[in-house]
Amino acid sequence: MIQIENLVKRYGELVALDHLNLEIREGEIFGLLGPNGSGKTTLINCILALLKFEKGTVTVLGQQMKPTSYQIKRQIGVVMQEVAVFDQMSVKENIDYFCGLYVKEKIRREQLVEEAIDFVGLRSHEHMRPKKLSGGLLRRLNIACGVAHKPRLIILDEPTVAVDPQTRNKILEGIQQMNREGSTIIYTSHYMEEVEQICTRIAIIDHGRVLATGTNEELKLMIKPRENISVQAIALDEAQLADIRSLPHVLDMGYDEQNLRVRFNSDEHNLIQLLNYFKDKRIPFGRVFSERPTLNDVFLEITGTALRD
Amino acid sequence: MRLFKYRFLQTVRDRAPLFWALLFPLIMATFFYLSFWSMSSDGLGDGEATWSAVPVAVHDPGAGGQDAAYFREFLRQMDRDLLDIRAYDTEAEKLAALADDHITGVFYVDAEPSLKVSRQSINASVLQSLLDAYTRNADILRSVMRDHPEKVASAALAISAQRDHIVDVDLGGKTMNPNIAYFFALIAYTCLSGAYMGVSASFQGQANLSALGSRRSVTPTSKLRLVLTDLAALVIIHFFNIMVLTLYIRYALQIPLGIPMARIAQINLMGSVVGVSIGIILGCTSKAGMGMKMGLCVLASLFPAFLAGLMYAGMKNIIEQHAPIVNRLNPAAVLADTYYSLSVFDDMARFHRNMLILLAMSAILVTVAFVQLRRERYDSI
Repeated sequence: MIQIENLVKRYGELVALDHLNLEIREGEIFGLLGPNGSGKTTLINCILALLKFEKGTVTVLGQQMKPTSYQIKRQIGVVMQEVAVFDQMSVKENIDYFCGLYVKEKIRREQLVEEAIDFVGLRSHEHMRPKKLSGGLLRRLNIACGVAHKPRLIILDEPTVAVDPQTRNKILEGIQQMNREGSTIIYTSHYMEEVEQICTRIAIIDHGRVLATGTNEELKLMIKPRENISVQAIALDEAQLADIRSLPHVLDMGYDEQNLRVRFNSDEHNLIQLLNYFKDKRIPFGRVFSERPTLNDVFLEITGTALRD
Repeated sequence: MRLFKYRFLQTVRDRAPLFWALLFPLIMATFFYLSFWSMSSDGLGDGEATWSAVPVAVHDPGAGGQDAAYFREFLRQMDRDLLDIRAYDTEAEKLAALADDHITGVFYVDAEPSLKVSRQSINASVLQSLLDAYTRNADILRSVMRDHPEKVASAALAISAQRDHIVDVDLGGKTMNPNIAYFFALIAYTCLSGAYMGVSASFQGQANLSALGSRRSVTPTSKLRLVLTDLAALVIIHFFNIMVLTLYIRYALQIPLGIPMARIAQINLMGSVVGVSIGIILGCTSKAGMGMKMGLCVLASLFPAFLAGLMYAGMKNIIEQHAPIVNRLNPAAVLADTYYSLSVFDDMARFHRNMLILLAMSAILVTVAFVQLRRERYDSI
């Protein structure tokens, strides 16, 4: 659906996109994961032909994307990071205005507007002005304005920034529903949990480069197997801690008189061998947690730094 | 039509630009009326029964040529009516009398007459108004001599009629009350205040200025269509604003503008195009914030209006004498002159010349605005 080849975008001396290559397939929820300033929004603006770029090509729906590619634009819906609605128009008028920029036929448009209002749950607020809406409702209106015309391709640029958890869940559910109904989604975020939760494929992007692409599981397989285990245990002595440190695959560990945290560089049999040690030595213990690698670990491994804000 | 409807709704519901483009001029018109129109026409008339002439001295060294002679004659006409001219031998005696409050002011007769008062008072304001009125009329007289020498006699008659503070002498137009210039400058200012609406629209059309601009730029509706729709809606709304002001001045304040409404509407429409276009250009030529651009709008509307005589009616004539090209290039001055030329002189040649200038300005401004707005790719957002 989208093919990006060798894309280079500079802001003066700063290279925002550095020979970036990417392919997004039809039917995916494609996550662009990267810290703020990594180039996600610049990439989106290049895909939408809003930004000039120095080098490379952007092909959307089989055609090179230009500002005048109106047939392609008709099939794209965009939800910008910043809320973009008219303060002086009501919820319904805003949705009708933006939907009307895509759909000329009146009856069809009216139907789409009604569906969009229901989709984002703003029926009881349809005559209100945006300034009267809470932050979460405003985000929903922003989404409705971008997707009311039921596009084939939907680009959402950090749509959950500064929203409450309840609204965030509703937005994520809505995105999955739109995908089930046939839309391909590009979803940019610096929230790893969201990307892990909804995206079928993910590209990790930093400093204008795609560092890795794949499904959630594929990305985790790219890094060394790893497991983090936490055990609630009181008053372990130095000898016991030394024994635990000498168990197979232990990378490092920490102890604060109450909780023991052990990192293993393998993801198999770590819990059994640790609990067996506690059992053999008759050491009492409480709650036990085991954590598999997250995208944050992937990001950490690939970039050498944690996902920064 | 739907795009037009929504742009129309959005604009008329946006209170800040509408305040500057409509309410502020209405307030100014009322203020102007209360400040000097009612005084110059009705106010003095009502007060004539209890009016006593203001005591003054005149210092006349006998220089200043023909211009001084005009002023000398003017003061003579005013004596015992508005003025009580008292005799003193030397300038020092006159200034001493002024310091002792025996007189309110001293007029200096010269090519450029002047006035000295000891302190601000109603009588001092009357003397200042009298001098201003004379200065404006002298300017009119000079311009009449230059453009319409055959009407000099009528103009001279108008100056002598100044003693009644009601000047309504036919020079071909309908009025020659000098204070009318303030109202024309105000209407011209209002035309330019369309810039406030233009700036808002500009912001909402450019992807590098606002999220709304980005959102509108990624739709399949062409930029040309969006820009033309915005421009049409804003020009019509602002034309309505200017007409409301004009009708308010004419019918609510009862000020005879001396121009048929159809002609005024033509000028107002042109003024609306010029004002809105200036705003669009201001809005999209830099990435400065909305507050900064609104500030620029104040400058772009008030300063030309100041040069066109909004704060001091004689300003336009001063510029005409020293830098006439400024009056040709200043849209507020061209607009004010267009009204004035019809109202005072009924000068169709000057009207047509000014309309051509306004048309050229509109064409240039709209073209520049469109070229700015139709940019489709940006270096940065």
